[in-house]
Amino acid sequence: MIEVQALRKSFQSRGGAIVAVDGVSFVARDGEITGLLGPNGAGKTTTLRMLYTLMRPDAGRVLVDGFDPAVQAGDVRRRLGVLPDARGLYKRLTARENIAYFGRLHGLDAALMAARIERLALALGMQDFIDRRTEGFSQGQRTKTAIARALVHDPRNVLLDEPTNGLDVMTTRGLRQFLRELRAEGRCVLLSSHIMQEVAVLCDRIVVIAHGRVVAQGTPDELRARTGELNLEDAFVRLIGSEEGLFA
Amino acid sequence: MSAWWVVLRKELLDAFRDRRMVIVALVVMPLAVPLILAGMSSLGTKRQVEKLERTLELPVIGAEHAPNLMTWLEAQDVRAAEAPADPDRAVRRQELEVVLRIDATFGDDWRAGRPARLELIYDSSRPLQSGATIARIRGLLEAYDSQVGTLRLIARGIHPAVVRPLLVGSRDVATPESRFDLAQQMLPYLLLLLAFIGGMQLAIDATAGERERQSLEPLLATPATRAAIISGKILATAAFTLLSVLVTLVMYRLAFALVPAEHVDMSLAVPADALGLLLLVILPIVLLGATVLTALAAFARSHREAQGYLPLLIFLPMLPTLYLMVSPVKTQAWMLAVPFLGQNQLILRILRREPIGLAEWAISLGSGFVLVAIVWLLAARLYHREQLAASG
Repeated sequence: MIEVQALRKSFQSRGGAIVAVDGVSFVARDGEITGLLGPNGAGKTTTLRMLYTLMRPDAGRVLVDGFDPAVQAGDVRRRLGVLPDARGLYKRLTARENIAYFGRLHGLDAALMAARIERLALALGMQDFIDRRTEGFSQGQRTKTAIARALVHDPRNVLLDEPTNGLDVMTTRGLRQFLRELRAEGRCVLLSSHIMQEVAVLCDRIVVIAHGRVVAQGTPDELRARTGELNLEDAFVRLIGSEEGLFA
Repeated sequence: MSAWWVVLRKELLDAFRDRRMVIVALVVMPLAVPLILAGMSSLGTKRQVEKLERTLELPVIGAEHAPNLMTWLEAQDVRAAEAPADPDRAVRRQELEVVLRIDATFGDDWRAGRPARLELIYDSSRPLQSGATIARIRGLLEAYDSQVGTLRLIARGIHPAVVRPLLVGSRDVATPESRFDLAQQMLPYLLLLLAFIGGMQLAIDATAGERERQSLEPLLATPATRAAIISGKILATAAFTLLSVLVTLVMYRLAFALVPAEHVDMSLAVPADALGLLLLVILPIVLLGATVLTALAAFARSHREAQGYLPLLIFLPMLPTLYLMVSPVKTQAWMLAVPFLGQNQLILRILRREPIGLAEWAISLGSGFVLVAIVWLLAARLYHREQLAASG
């Protein structure tokens, strides 16, 4: 479970401080898929980066299974599987070696890791390319490898930043199925997206973010009821106040 | 398994699969260093020998005024040649190395027993090109001078020893190994340069390359601490560089074993038992290079930006070599503590088979490792900065 309380983060830029995240609070529960929905530049990536200890919040608090990233970064990272926006692979290593590198950094022993990689390769449909060097991989193969790498240590909580970015329809469908399986195993899945349909078909709870603030949260039905719109996309546009950044 | 060890192994595996990197570090560099030195050395020796042994064409102005001198020179393998109208210009333009001018009054002065005038026209600002020829002519003229002078004294009934109050003998204590030449001065520089920036490609690929490829952010989300990650990368760079230096030294040693002794300058040979000592001297520089390169490259956003530092880093190990060329002083203790300068001195002393004391080892290695530790801590601190990963 991930709890976020009044999170705030600003960056220094030439024109002064820019507040990227301004008092964001939400809870992502175990056995649920929670979606951070918002236009580009709304602060989704920055929020996720504070969750996986890459950045320190200026104010507010994060708890991952009760652990605070500010003081127990190691414990938090062990409980998180992270697919960041940046998902580069080592092109001279095979997919299996890429995944195993991260497994070793998580302190897994060889036998356990081999079993995990087999299971992930099966679940994600990676058997055809698991022992090929990743240079020249398609976007879908790269994303699958990056997801397997993020989950090799069997984390209870899974963070995915725009997981379906650049994937074709079939790969996207397969990935959604995979995320539902993670939910069925009782994990806490938190993903960010700027695509309405994505969040609508997948998420149990939606946190709508715009300009660094949470403008609404709840189940898809609650959001529809709250705005009086039948169509979730219309509800979304009404909530964030404009269509800006939605279709980028 | 410690995280730094996992990172170290992965970076080395990655590096060894990069064919270009392996060829440059383990084939090109090890071949280039002996070739450069052997070329410099044998070319220099050959030119000198040739100049001293072959018949010398000496342009002479006014040869007709001193026929006896000309005959004597001819017997010494010097043939008089036609001199140009403007000898100064010809020498200055490097068309001729040296011109001998014999005064019109030479014959009269000679017969009257007065010092007869000769003039050598040469350019002293090019000692490497024409120094040997000038010295050869000068030596011959002095020999002729002293020979005729002695004969004149004897003709007058004076013992030649009367005008030689001094007899200066000389004894050169230089061993063949301690003879100093340019090629020998280049060896420490090339070794230190290789030790310092030999791991450049790996360091850049492991840091700036990691950012460029966008694999740094997921890496930082693992439980491995940033200090462990950067330490693994530094050690991988150092291990790879050390291997490159070792292969270079072995190749260098083999080159001397394969080529017949008369073709090479044996003062450049590295004794087999000195390989270990050389590696030990160089070790702090290898670690320093790996740390500096990794720290610098960690903050570059791309390969290109990181490579921009290269000229600066090539220059650093050159400074002490230049300093020693300008003022070749005796080694003092403080010099051993100065990076590059100290190693340069110790490498030369190993090559000259001079013993190195325990205290000197302690100063050199101690100061080297302290410096490495400082830069290492600095690099680890810098690696903790938030902007590092969040540049995407």
